[in-house]
Amino acid sequence: MRKLLSVLLAGAFIVSAAGALSACNRTEASGIEKKVEAAATMTEDELIAEAAKETGKFVAYGNSSRIVDAMEGFVAKYGTQLNLSSSNAAASKQTDTEIFTLIDTESKASSNTQNASMVLIQDSASLDLYRTSTDLFYNYVPASLGSNISESDKVPLAQQYINKLFMWNNQGSDVPEFSNVWELTEDTYKDKIFFKSPKSEQVNMNFLIMLTGEEWSGKLEDAYLALNNTAADDVGSGKKYENYGYKWISEFIANCNFSINSDTTMAQNLSKPENAGRMGLFVLSKLRDDSVLTENLQVAAWNEGSDNNYVKIEPFAGFMYALYAQLASHGPRPYTAMLFINYLMTAEGFAPWASLGGYSSNSSIPVTEGDSELSFWRDNLVFEDGKYIISVKTKVEDYINGLLK
Amino acid sequence: MKKKIDNAAEENAPISKKRRFFNHVKRFLSNPANIILIVFLVILVFMIFYPLFTLILSTFQVSSITETLFGVKYGDLTGLWWYRMFASDMSSTYFWMPLLNSILMSLLASVIAILYGGVVAFFITRTNMKGKKFISAIFVFPYIMPSWTLATFWQNFWQNPSIGTGTGGMLYNITGLSVPASWVYGLVPCAIVLGLHYAPFAYILIGGILRNMDANLEEAATILKASRAKIIYRITLPIVLPALVSTFLLVFASSMSSYAVPKYIGGDMTVLTTYMKNFLNNGYYGQGYIMALVMIVLGVAILAANQYITGKRKSFTTVSGKSGQVSYINLHKANYVVATILTILSLFCAVLPLITFALESCCVIPGDYSTLTLEYWISREQVGTGNGLVGILFEKQVWQAFGNSILLAFLCAIIAGSSGVLIGYAVARKRATRMARSVDSLAFLPYLMPSMALGAAFLTMAFTFGLAKSFIVLVLVGSLKYLPFASRSGINAMLQLSGEIEEAAIIVGVPWWKRMVRVIFPIQKSTFISGYLLPFTSCMRELSLFVLLSAGSTTLLATLLDNWSQWWPQSANALNLLIIVTVLVINFAVNKLTGASIDKGVGG
Repeated sequence: MRKLLSVLLAGAFIVSAAGALSACNRTEASGIEKKVEAAATMTEDELIAEAAKETGKFVAYGNSSRIVDAMEGFVAKYGTQLNLSSSNAAASKQTDTEIFTLIDTESKASSNTQNASMVLIQDSASLDLYRTSTDLFYNYVPASLGSNISESDKVPLAQQYINKLFMWNNQGSDVPEFSNVWELTEDTYKDKIFFKSPKSEQVNMNFLIMLTGEEWSGKLEDAYLALNNTAADDVGSGKKYENYGYKWISEFIANCNFSINSDTTMAQNLSKPENAGRMGLFVLSKLRDDSVLTENLQVAAWNEGSDNNYVKIEPFAGFMYALYAQLASHGPRPYTAMLFINYLMTAEGFAPWASLGGYSSNSSIPVTEGDSELSFWRDNLVFEDGKYIISVKTKVEDYINGLLK
Repeated sequence: MKKKIDNAAEENAPISKKRRFFNHVKRFLSNPANIILIVFLVILVFMIFYPLFTLILSTFQVSSITETLFGVKYGDLTGLWWYRMFASDMSSTYFWMPLLNSILMSLLASVIAILYGGVVAFFITRTNMKGKKFISAIFVFPYIMPSWTLATFWQNFWQNPSIGTGTGGMLYNITGLSVPASWVYGLVPCAIVLGLHYAPFAYILIGGILRNMDANLEEAATILKASRAKIIYRITLPIVLPALVSTFLLVFASSMSSYAVPKYIGGDMTVLTTYMKNFLNNGYYGQGYIMALVMIVLGVAILAANQYITGKRKSFTTVSGKSGQVSYINLHKANYVVATILTILSLFCAVLPLITFALESCCVIPGDYSTLTLEYWISREQVGTGNGLVGILFEKQVWQAFGNSILLAFLCAIIAGSSGVLIGYAVARKRATRMARSVDSLAFLPYLMPSMALGAAFLTMAFTFGLAKSFIVLVLVGSLKYLPFASRSGINAMLQLSGEIEEAAIIVGVPWWKRMVRVIFPIQKSTFISGYLLPFTSCMRELSLFVLLSAGSTTLLATLLDNWSQWWPQSANALNLLIIVTVLVINFAVNKLTGASIDKGVGG
């Protein structure tokens, strides 16, 4: 029996090697670089003509459920010309990790006809790592955008931005004044700040990591001095906290309430009268939900109209992150994917996201009435920088996870 | 004459070794049971040991791009993950604390399950309590329903404004009563919810023993004027002790692999499963796989302990054949009190959750019953939450996931059920052989491999073959995980069947497949069918096993719910209710069609 088992295990190892070898048969990246280069000078009709020649399913993955609606709009507009319908064009919502796993797995498939050709990814840091370490993704900037997009949003192409803002229930008489984020580290906020655990929400983790950098720890130091008039004695080399970013993270997390693992539920509960005086840090777009009593909530740095009538929060009122559009290099329909990205960058393609808290990186697409422009939020929020996050990710994640245990 | 002599010489000549071996192999393979055993030995060794092999290998490998952030090269071998988990400054955060929490939670859950399930089993089988049938039927509900059902209900019921979400739950809204946070979030509520979920399991195991227990022992003690307490302590308890220990170990193992309950009401507490999911979600595969491996080792150790203890059970015979009579304890005036308490408790765990899900799925503002609407169920337009979804009965994602779940459950049931029949046949026919024992043990092994750890092992295998997130991997892992149910019922069915029945068919020249289809299966069909149905119903409500493996076009109802619960609570509540109702309807249909039910044999 022992011999038999040995033979069987040896067989398993051989199968393993064969499997690994077959999995190494990556599909060709379909000369994506040349195609993107060629597309840069094409008119829309020419791009449509090239896309119409492509075969295989047109699949897109996105870390936003709205990509499904966007795909429906795209098929409705170009379906006849490209011979696309709901049977051979599909988009689905996936988490970033799932997207990376799927794209990596698909790249090893012997045939690429079912592979995704385009993705929308949220985690800037992981995307940066994948872009520099693999050939799985390729950047494409629609020529039609011209000067309507900031240089910093071109590589990787930021399709849109989403913001998470401090919001608090302003009902009752016990509502604290809020103008400096260090106030959130005081005892009065103990267990009163709703924040989705960074362990399960990568963008929240990325936001905290950003604060440890020179720029934001410096701004936090200024804000600390503005509030306390004296420097903290536990910050500095060899002391408890390396810089003011670490100090704020530690004291902020100690006051956070991680009972709710959904931004929607957070908005719903925070807006209820019994939560007067409590604070939350979650996506602004949740205020469009019927079940949120928006009249009970005050949004940090909310600018009524364009007359700068708002309370500035020192040094930030929340944070902002992007959804990045990328071509999947091993997909069967690169031209169709480029046409889809062109579409997403128009007002029509952005329509599924065009509501409170959704900001196209195409500056010609206006924000929702009452909301502030992207440029306003750039001055008031912490923006993700994938390159910085990647450079310190493991170290700061260990630090934050240690605080969360 | 010469020819005759030649023939005789040929017959008497020694048979060559080659010929003898050939004859031996031919004879061996002419028995279908041997072929079945060989085939399943190969399949099971591959399906169990190959994922384990890739899992172990991956704990020493840099297998994701994200892991290169630790300064190691993709594809290289490394001991860094083991160092981080067991010897670094972070080992307490990443491993020892979650392990300690998992163990404490599971220990407490096992005690609660045994106490609650055992007490109910005692009242149902050993007393003249009223309403046994009703209590028995609804008591097993929580075990049929998905485990997260009770967890979300627990939170909805006990929540109050001074803790957690800062809003009032059902109890607070009705009575104004508040409980401390540690009763709603953390280790204790997780253990209670798991204990309540697995109490029916204890009830079935302990109840089975109590029901079959020889009444003469107790009667003899009564004649000798032993007190009721002494009888329970000195006679009843020792007899059910092996079942108690076995239940304890099985509930402990199941609780260790629970993911949904600590995720929903664990609060700040981290356990192995939730941390493992975090690691795998963030691309830190090596560290996640180490947790999976530890859980598998613990599971197998528990299996060994269980085998050792139940192996000794021979000396605790419960059915003697001398007396089928059961002496019921007369509860006198306490009869109605006990029945009422048990009914309330059972309704609390079984029916109230369904009511709260139904109500919450119809509330625009959660908890505010003046805002009731059916739009989350039947709206053809996008619902008011602005989440892009229509009512779940018209939502494409739901029906796609529903189709996937049904197809997956069907395929797993067919594969596991048919394998169970074949394994049962072969093991029963070749009972004394080492190969039969090996197949029997291998077929039971997946039961003690924690679901999520098994999912992680298959994830590593899927990566090797470029099959990550594909439907075929879900079918393979589902079939393997539920094979123990099917193989147990198959072996039991075949052991009950005398070999003479098949021999009679062999004598009249009936081929093997016809014997199986026309003789064996029809005789034991009800037991075999349960081997198909248990995998089906279990698969429909499974989350932990599939949560790492399903995505996109392979999304299942349970994984869709896991996703929705983070964003759209009303639609998630509606979906939750849909899953529960589907599982209950299937279970009810099975009961009606086959007469089988999980509390059958205990009483009521």
